[in-house]
Amino acid sequence: MSFDGFPPFISAQLHYLLNHFPDKIKVEQVVSGGNKSYGVGLDRFTLLIPYCLDYIKWDVIYNAEFPLAPPDIIFGPEDEDFHPLHMTGAEGEGDLKSLTRNILSDWNNKDPTRLLALIQEMRDQYMSYQRKRVGEVDDDRLKFEISTICSREGIEMHISSGAEKPEEVKFAVPLMDMNINKMVHGCPWRHPQKIYLQVIYPVGRKYASTPSAPRLKLMSTIELRALFSIDDVKLPSWLDGMCMAEYLPHLEESLQKQVLEAVSLIDIRRCFIEALTPLFGRPLEADPVFCRKATFLASSGSFVFLVHFLFSTQFPKQQPALMLQSSQHISPQGVPKKSPLLTEYPWSPRWEVSQMSERIFDFLADESLNFKRFCNESQPQH
Amino acid sequence: MSSMPKEGHRGKTKMEDIEGDASVGGGGRYTLKPTRISNEDIIICVDVDAESLVEMKTAGITRLDSIKQAILLFVNSKLSINPDHRFAFATLSKSASWLRKEFSSDVESAIGAVRALSATTVSSGQADLTSLFRLAAYEAKKSRAQNRILRLILIYCRSSVRPHHQWPVNQKLFTLDVMYLHDKPGPDNCPQAVYDALVDALEHVSEYEGYIHESGHGLPRTLFRFMSMLLSHPQQRCPQDDCDIPKPLMKKSAESANGEDNVHVSPSQ
Repeated sequence: MSFDGFPPFISAQLHYLLNHFPDKIKVEQVVSGGNKSYGVGLDRFTLLIPYCLDYIKWDVIYNAEFPLAPPDIIFGPEDEDFHPLHMTGAEGEGDLKSLTRNILSDWNNKDPTRLLALIQEMRDQYMSYQRKRVGEVDDDRLKFEISTICSREGIEMHISSGAEKPEEVKFAVPLMDMNINKMVHGCPWRHPQKIYLQVIYPVGRKYASTPSAPRLKLMSTIELRALFSIDDVKLPSWLDGMCMAEYLPHLEESLQKQVLEAVSLIDIRRCFIEALTPLFGRPLEADPVFCRKATFLASSGSFVFLVHFLFSTQFPKQQPALMLQSSQHISPQGVPKKSPLLTEYPWSPRWEVSQMSERIFDFLADESLNFKRFCNESQPQH
Repeated sequence: MSSMPKEGHRGKTKMEDIEGDASVGGGGRYTLKPTRISNEDIIICVDVDAESLVEMKTAGITRLDSIKQAILLFVNSKLSINPDHRFAFATLSKSASWLRKEFSSDVESAIGAVRALSATTVSSGQADLTSLFRLAAYEAKKSRAQNRILRLILIYCRSSVRPHHQWPVNQKLFTLDVMYLHDKPGPDNCPQAVYDALVDALEHVSEYEGYIHESGHGLPRTLFRFMSMLLSHPQQRCPQDDCDIPKPLMKKSAESANGEDNVHVSPSQ
């Protein structure tokens, strides 16, 4: 992403932030605060900072006319009480205050790392601020839950209080201390992949006889989907009277098994792709790390076409999806002729790999005749 | 596999069935190693010399018309394999020049570039590949910085003009593929010599195994077939002599039942 129009010192700091922030941070609403006729350039933008499995929006306001000054940061309307420079409270926060003060008083606009340092620092303070707010909630059950999971690393909390909505406390609990990245040979992921449990408690029901189950949702970093889909995970049920401290280890054990299985399935897919080659030839291209897809070149007489194989994370329980694409027919609008996604054909996960390959080959031999007819009907072969 | 004999290992010495389906190919068992491959930046360079206006066997269709079609098919196919590959376009007359310099994975951009392809009316005389290689080498450095690899696909159309190049011996920064369309060999041309020069260039500059195909028969279908073989990812290729694709999808019981085809494959094609 390029940021034309920013003075170089802002551009440098913003680039550094985007490239080095540990999670995906987004930028939007880039504007100029100054008088456009003086051509001072862009100097303010909104950052979407990942927090608690959602984003917090902070406006970052530089002043292009006073480049030496640090930017102002404006927080969301819900966080009127968030004052990172003025936070009082528990021990140790004096250090946080002074750290922020140092970053701001010691501002060097020529140092590209400063914006990142500032944002990270503010985010840490925001986390403490939210923790404090959640701790102040007058709900015994919530207090108990917090006390049992406090020792877990990396938990983020958020209390939402809208005018119409009831108060809710949201926890983002990172699960499993597994380095999933290390388990994948040739892993292309730049960031460590993580799975989180989002737990949402309603607040303020002092008189409920049995505490109701919180809303639970599994979430993961996006790239993990190439290996493992959290949609396939069935969450263990939350039994009456359970608390997070009991629920989490149970869930983690189950997830760990599923992730390990997902990793072992990579090589199952790999072997299958290799087993296709005696019949289908060498693929034009195959995904070498996750083995989720492979494309072959095939012929039926003088008709030459591509065969795409798409493997879900549930392979071999779920059969590969196939698609044919002509290498010779293209519509006047420039769209190549493709078959629909073929997912229904004879299949059993219990077959030997060579039999799976032969059966698919036979199926496609028939299907390619249909496809060829379809291509030629709309447009004669060259 | 090429039907043009040449010095070196590429191609066989006898005229061969162009549809070539060796039953044992690939040079040994195929293994899919768990090593990352890079997304490609592909420069398609079209020879726009007057010879690109020679008619194909299909009346009213020039080589350039078929080439345009082949490029669109290629780009679409490549993007359906992996939408992160990107394309740029150049032309070659006496030397190389850019047609569309910015790499893009947008099909519309390719359509626009292809529309803008037009041939020179006068013969270019010579074909200097050095400028083309310089252009590719420069882009290759940028691609590498983005963890991508650069490929140059040259589509050449001249039957008597041997391309020439000057290039350092060990500079292999990009992969070169060649598609050579030419007239049938005769007393007034030298497509074999041109082919040999193209093979030399390919083997000289190519980072990964480059593929070269040629056709003198003027059938668009043959051009599309060979371009499809160039879809293969350079980091997952076997030596050209071991290529065994496309494989015919035919049930063993139905080998003789080719009723669907009006044109039966034969070596003379």
